[in-house]
Amino acid sequence: MYDLTQEEQLIIQSVREYAENVMAPAAKEADVTGEFPWEVINKGIELGLHALSIPEEYGGPGMSALMSAVISEELSKACAGMATTLGATGLSCYPVLIAGTDEQKKLYFDIIQSGKLGAFCLTEPGAGSDSGSVAATAVREGGEYVLNGNKTFITNGAVASVYTVFATVDRAKGLKGLSAFIVERDRAGVSVGKEENKMGIRASNTTDVIFTNVRIPAGHLLGKEGDGFKIAMKTLDSSRAGVGAQAVGICQAALEASIRYANERKQFGAPISANQGIQFMLADMAIQTEAARALVRHACRLQDAGQPYGKEAAMCKTFAGDTAMKVTTDAVQIFGGYGYSRDYPIEKLMRDAKIMQIFEGTNQIQRVVVAGHILRP
Amino acid sequence: MKIIVCYKWTLDEADIRVDAATRAVLKERAKYRISPYDRNAVECGVRLAGKSGGEVVALSVGTAELGNSAKDILSRGVTRLAWLGCQELEDADAAGTARALAAAARKIGDYDLIVCGEGSSDSYSQQTGPRLAELLDIPVVTCASEISLDGSRLTVKRKLEEGFEITETTLPALITVLPDINEPRIPGLKEILGASKKPAERFSAEDLGLDPETLKPLARRDSLLGTATDRRRIVLKGEGAAAELLTILKQEGFC
Repeated sequence: MYDLTQEEQLIIQSVREYAENVMAPAAKEADVTGEFPWEVINKGIELGLHALSIPEEYGGPGMSALMSAVISEELSKACAGMATTLGATGLSCYPVLIAGTDEQKKLYFDIIQSGKLGAFCLTEPGAGSDSGSVAATAVREGGEYVLNGNKTFITNGAVASVYTVFATVDRAKGLKGLSAFIVERDRAGVSVGKEENKMGIRASNTTDVIFTNVRIPAGHLLGKEGDGFKIAMKTLDSSRAGVGAQAVGICQAALEASIRYANERKQFGAPISANQGIQFMLADMAIQTEAARALVRHACRLQDAGQPYGKEAAMCKTFAGDTAMKVTTDAVQIFGGYGYSRDYPIEKLMRDAKIMQIFEGTNQIQRVVVAGHILRP
Repeated sequence: MKIIVCYKWTLDEADIRVDAATRAVLKERAKYRISPYDRNAVECGVRLAGKSGGEVVALSVGTAELGNSAKDILSRGVTRLAWLGCQELEDADAAGTARALAAAARKIGDYDLIVCGEGSSDSYSQQTGPRLAELLDIPVVTCASEISLDGSRLTVKRKLEEGFEITETTLPALITVLPDINEPRIPGLKEILGASKKPAERFSAEDLGLDPETLKPLARRDSLLGTATDRRRIVLKGEGAAAELLTILKQEGFC
């Protein structure tokens, strides 16, 4: 990249070393077994890769959106599942960054920086894209809130030590009742439910999280009662480019593997890369990957410059997610039968890519966001 | 305890290309990095200091380009950096490098241990460490694959071609380490971001009482070309191929 400081270049060098030497060798086993790779993740935590957005005044690295995206891309190139674990902790920090008081930031960021993971708990069985349907409740009782409800598809659900949780203080108010809270994992009444057996990003942990009469201090409410929807939307705006970057990392892995294979694989006495049909596929994969990367980084640069970036963040998440699906499908095609075999790492990329079109706002919801921006009078 | 760890700022040879037609060595794409075995030396010093307390001074000599290594080396657990930058050290040989390092080590003073990599990734002469120890008049133990420190007694396991040797020395001493000795750490975000806050001192040749002319290499290099292996490309076919192959191998002295 042309606009990085020396520190940033060194950070990328470290991230690459971690991704290539620590993550990549463990990726296949974690994908096959679905077991959580604690050793690899703990090493990433040690390097500070789970807490990228925590500001320097709270002891964090205070990475820009652009640097976070570059890091996310590098990690996802090695294993999108493990990158998701580290990234989801960052996602859980955003509600605190956006709406937390100084005291709340210290509380949350100290837990994360002591080497723990976090999780963002918004989705429920009946509230996916429609966040207004959240059924979890938070009832004020004296100096406390009492939380009840079931969250589902929670990344890091069973491995996080602290959660940012969305619950309604008044269901009758719909979106205006939604509120955000900090909940530590070890509070009485917090339990972990079913773990998902996923198609892709299998190194990451996805579970239900259940809150049964969980008492938290009133001081754990982020912002005011009813600020939840605003906080959730701002959080997802902030994190979308990160998902786009993950998708770009998957594209890059698929592209590089395809180029290598096309040069090595010989048919009819020549490498298959000598065929124009393969060349055009590789060229299209490269063009699309570079375009997705440029869109992701454009959204990040807007964010870093303090300019509106919601539309571009939605665009880049959608485009990069769709591109990852297309590029990995083409990679499997170039690898032919070997691409379809689980002995080769290509089909994993295709399975990992699919979630990029689904989580943190489906690509259909992203299009609603983009349409909302461009049709605004 | 004061430990000096020496490192060389070398071009990454993986990115050096040789022009097929002219055999010219193309360095344009190659970036500088800490020579890999020296990363083991740094890690060794940092771990020892972690156990016994004390400071780790990173030391290097080279041209002004070496200044670009500061943040990298300071993110690897060392306490501070001291370096000599002067143009005469361009293409320095082991003698000149050792002379410069010795003067700098004396300036740093009061060292208990000096740790070097066994050899650099570019020339791998394995001379700089032993020469430095000789100039400083301290014992040297090379090929270290394991070490343990008990007070001022250093036990070193040396990995040799035909086995291992355990040897002991008293401090101050110099050791050169093999990559087996440890797995160098990957610098974390905070270490990298905190590197520029650590002290880095640049010496001039004059500061160290050195005549820069004495640092120049003794040998003169007239040209630098990549090696090219010319294959015979002999293809044998048909029934007599095996016998013919044997004849050729005999002619070439392989059997």
